[in-house]
Amino acid sequence: MAGQNSIDQYMTSIQSFLSGLVSVPVLNNFDREFANSSQFIVWQLRDVHQPVYTGIYQANKGIDTPVFQISIFTTTINTGLALADQIMQGLHGYTGQFGSIYVSKADVHMLFQGYDDEIKLYNIYMDCFLYIPA
Amino acid sequence: MALPNKVLPGFSATLYAQDAATPTPLTTANLSTWASVSAIAVAANAVNVENIPAFGQDDAVANFAVAGSRQSDKIPVQAAPTSMSITAAWNPSDAMLLTLRDDAYNGTIDRTFVVVATDGTNSIAYAFNGRVGQWDIDSNTSAEAKVTFTIHPRGNQYGWSTNP
Repeated sequence: MAGQNSIDQYMTSIQSFLSGLVSVPVLNNFDREFANSSQFIVWQLRDVHQPVYTGIYQANKGIDTPVFQISIFTTTINTGLALADQIMQGLHGYTGQFGSIYVSKADVHMLFQGYDDEIKLYNIYMDCFLYIPA
Repeated sequence: MALPNKVLPGFSATLYAQDAATPTPLTTANLSTWASVSAIAVAANAVNVENIPAFGQDDAVANFAVAGSRQSDKIPVQAAPTSMSITAAWNPSDAMLLTLRDDAYNGTIDRTFVVVATDGTNSIAYAFNGRVGQWDIDSNTSAEAKVTFTIHPRGNQYGWSTNP
């Protein structure tokens, strides 16, 4: 029997872990930080879902495997790559305390990188899959 | 006794093997004793396997059917621990893989193996004494080279324990 994990707790945990990993501003959702910072990280959580198993009991659920996307914005590509590497080294394959929750495994995919001419910032996108006991 | 009280992801489990070329395996009583088992379950003894196969106890049953009676009967019997066929990414210099390769070459070395699963706070350990058989390197070009080996547990030599 497993209860429903809290999304609120996931969000505060991700913010807390990422802020501890890098020394640049870490934000949930994009804001006008690009006007103030030459480098910053934005993240968003998605795909929170614990499988529900058979029977009438609501607490018959499995582990959760949510994903959060990390977007790195920097004025030079080198600082962006260095940040991406820092996140990869610290997060990929991580097992342990993750903010206020425990994760059994964090699995990071580097998705792609690019440049946005409108805001004059390089960007690197990564997906991090979490596996959370429930 | 503090058993994990959560549904655990499969990869929460880690496999450990006693180190040393000719180890002294744990006694049957100590295989169920956390203090003895946790001394083996340390980072230096981790066997870096891809997956931990099914572990625990085999199914074994004695079937009885008597001519003339309406139904047969199935009576569970004390079954042996399950043999584990394991695949690991092959690094020829990996110290633990070299130890297990020597076991396979020797054929008669008993060693204590431990599988520990944890929810971060509490852990459960399955410990057994076994011998390594088989040592196959698969160097298929489509993926990393892998080594497959099998651990055959000795009868009646296994136990479950949990952190205090």
